[in-house]
Amino acid sequence: MTILGLQIVILCLVAAAVVLWALYFPYPSPLIRRWLPPRKRWPEAQIRTWLKQGGFQRAFLRHFYSDPERIAPPGNSMLAPADGLVTSAEKHEGVRYLVIALSFWDMHVQRSPVSGKVLSVESCGDGFMDGEGREFAFLREKPCPVQKRLLIATDAGRVAVRLITSLAARRIETWVRAGDEIERGQRIGRILLGSTVVLELPVTMNLLVRTGDRVWAGETAVAEGAPPHE
Amino acid sequence: MSDFLWSAGHLGWGVFALAVFTGLWWLLGDLYWRLQSIRIGRLLVALTTGWVIWVGLILGLYIGSR
Repeated sequence: MTILGLQIVILCLVAAAVVLWALYFPYPSPLIRRWLPPRKRWPEAQIRTWLKQGGFQRAFLRHFYSDPERIAPPGNSMLAPADGLVTSAEKHEGVRYLVIALSFWDMHVQRSPVSGKVLSVESCGDGFMDGEGREFAFLREKPCPVQKRLLIATDAGRVAVRLITSLAARRIETWVRAGDEIERGQRIGRILLGSTVVLELPVTMNLLVRTGDRVWAGETAVAEGAPPHE
Repeated sequence: MSDFLWSAGHLGWGVFALAVFTGLWWLLGDLYWRLQSIRIGRLLVALTTGWVIWVGLILGLYIGSR
């Protein structure tokens, strides 16, 4: 009788695992999520469903709001301000616009690419992007997407970081104010559930990354070069 | 064959092993499919082949132990 009981318990556990699998399919069952990388643990289709419904799985939000420590490489190269994929590095009127697209699975805290003094924190824009048109993020004409632009004075000239929201994101937090002295790699803000970060840097600087490269905020050197003589 | 299904007041070890193995094999197949970007056709063939081999082993062990 004890053996039968044990067999029934084991069979019930296996059956429960299969039922869970069927209930969650095509998304991963909670039993196997821990072994999957974030991109497969929460597939894009599932996140878009949550966006429509306005509710998210707690584990996803915990991952999304994670803020791991980052170690800046030695030297004074300019660091990536955000985690993501470099989608564009266009030059426009003497400024290079390095566009970094964040995905749902990237860490969303932004970091200062350089040490310097914050000259201004401006809010602008009146629309939301839906991942489209990221390559046009450097255009300042209206309508531009909702964004905050941090202007930083550095030894290498003026550098700006633009935090741009998407239709999914809609909110930006900045943690520095005009007049603050900031360190290279310091946390400067967060885009909630979004989207795109643009680094504006002088064209005189040498770019160390190319379109399609993966970068990590506060860790990946994206540009270097001697300060311009003014 | 009767003690394959039922034996001395509990489920036969043969059918028990078969049921547990089939469930776990299915779940393991799902995990593998999500971790590796493998085509569904190839996965199904591999899963079926693996299942047949393991069921053969279970049946072989059962018949051998009689």
